[in-house]
Amino acid sequence: MSDVMEYKCPACDGAMEFDSKSQKLKCPYCDTEISISEFQASPQNEIPEDDTDDEVHWTPRNDDRWTEGDAEGIHVYTCQSCGGEILADQTTGASTCPFCGNHVVMKGQFSGDLKPNFIIPFKLDKKVAKEAYYRHLKGKRFLPKIFRSENHIDEMKGIYVPFWIFEADVKASVHYNAEKTRKWDKQGVEYTEHKYYDVFRSGNITYRNVPANGSSKMEDSLMESIEPYNFSEAVSFNPAYLAGYAADRYDVNTDVCLGRAGQRIQNSAELSFHETVQGYQSVSPSRSSIHLQNTRYCYALYPVWLLNTTWQGRRYIFAMNGQTGKMVGDLPLDKKEFWKYAVTRGLGISAVLCIIQLLMTMM
Amino acid sequence: MKKQIHRILLTVLLALSGVWTISAEAAGVIPDERLLPRLVDEADLLTDEEESSLLEKLDEISERQKCDVAIAAVNGLEGKTAMEYADDFYDYNGYGMGSDRDGILLLVSMEDRDWWLSSCGFGITAFTDAGLEYLSGKFLPYLSDGDYEKAFVKYAELCDEFITQAKTGTPYGEGNLPKEPFDPFWIMVDLVIGLGLGYVIAFRKKENLRSVKKKVLAEDYSVPGSLVLTDSYDRFMYKAVTTKTIEIETTTDYESSGSSTHTSSSGTTHGGTGGKF
Repeated sequence: MSDVMEYKCPACDGAMEFDSKSQKLKCPYCDTEISISEFQASPQNEIPEDDTDDEVHWTPRNDDRWTEGDAEGIHVYTCQSCGGEILADQTTGASTCPFCGNHVVMKGQFSGDLKPNFIIPFKLDKKVAKEAYYRHLKGKRFLPKIFRSENHIDEMKGIYVPFWIFEADVKASVHYNAEKTRKWDKQGVEYTEHKYYDVFRSGNITYRNVPANGSSKMEDSLMESIEPYNFSEAVSFNPAYLAGYAADRYDVNTDVCLGRAGQRIQNSAELSFHETVQGYQSVSPSRSSIHLQNTRYCYALYPVWLLNTTWQGRRYIFAMNGQTGKMVGDLPLDKKEFWKYAVTRGLGISAVLCIIQLLMTMM
Repeated sequence: MKKQIHRILLTVLLALSGVWTISAEAAGVIPDERLLPRLVDEADLLTDEEESSLLEKLDEISERQKCDVAIAAVNGLEGKTAMEYADDFYDYNGYGMGSDRDGILLLVSMEDRDWWLSSCGFGITAFTDAGLEYLSGKFLPYLSDGDYEKAFVKYAELCDEFITQAKTGTPYGEGNLPKEPFDPFWIMVDLVIGLGLGYVIAFRKKENLRSVKKKVLAEDYSVPGSLVLTDSYDRFMYKAVTTKTIEIETTTDYESSGSSTHTSSSGTTHGGTGGKF
């Protein structure tokens, strides 16, 4: 069985790619479409039931490693320039590094790595990403006009980004100092009554599928900005989904990701509990204990369209959620235009104020 | 002494030439030598040129308005209060036009730096209490600074304006005072406010260039309805009551005419106000 055998078109032997529209493998040469399950009857990755444990520790949902059969046809390309590693099948022909734009020169087989449990297949294609990018530039008054007109996309890549997906039941007990105030007047005296309460809330809340970026090459803030992903559309991982796309390999371990995701879960839980305290003028937590229980995590690949563009020697990165189409990316500021706008609007407002005052003195 | 003679001569001359019309009654009661010009500068606060041009102004206004606008600058009050002195000065020296002796007199005494505005006849109607307060507020700063000419000119011009307004039927009074002229200072204030707001608007518009932000919450991932409270209470601890006396704003009620009056030693009704400068 050769490396590319699994992705060869049964009709014309051409290298097939995963088509985001039909969610099937499609042959670019003869338009043959075939579903992934039809193509490869791979064993489903069952999620083992986690034993409920008294101790708080994060358990992986499963610990699947790449088997030799899975890994066939999948290669790790390492960029010599920035060290970025890309998972891709041979048919991708990844010639440039999506992170730094340099040519990928080294490749190697990967096996023995943790295999992703789930994958959210690309739903939106390159065309949609391009449209989303130009839409992203619209309506931005202070975007330099030259950026818009001269702008060309250097590189556009559909990448599967590794995410650690966490879930946890939060058990929280929080005491709040709350205050109610009431005012009334009586015989020329204003009374203000302050009533102080000790408010207690204890309970549970569950968070599922909180993602944390597992790739050090991707900026956390960029990845968090294209959230949320709808995990209900995730399917068990099958290497066939990678056809035509690149996939990054996780290189941030779960502990680091856990810290970030755990903090977000904790913040949200605190807020949710705080919102249950109603009817007071002021509420502030005095002491709280928040525990994460039944914590579990898994490894998933999420689709991201990455667009690179260089302008005045600076690189701008844009990312689009390959599932929902949410586009993000910071844009440069035209300082001249900014000040022109601020001053003209400022003078306009000043003039209106002067006229109003003038009219008032004349009336 | 020379000044005194000069003054009397001028008075007589003016009286004879008929530039200064006095009411028939006043003319009948008050001997001509007691009729003083509309500007009496005993304290010698003005130069001769200032004096003559100011007098010309006062005469012009008074003739046109048929209501005397006069100024008396004296050295002392001769033991009287400023009000008494001003009222007597007005009554004794034949000020006021028409049967009601319409007019207003500004008395300035240098001894104790007193001033008094004495109104009479139509003057009482034209110069309400609020109006007198406004009027004095306008010329007093100059008086205090020793810029007497400016103070008197300001007084004369404002009196002209007040009398004109009073003839429309609604004299300047509480809630109906002359509008302040547009102060160029406000242009600066408007400019600062405008530019400040312009910057804020631009800054907020600039924010749409930034779309990459770190997430601190995980609210998108909470399982709907999973928040279950197992224990909760709201326990009242204690209460405290603070009190504050409400300050009631005192509003002064003006008389229906808007002018308070009193009667002078000669039995004439006067309005007026005064103080120190």
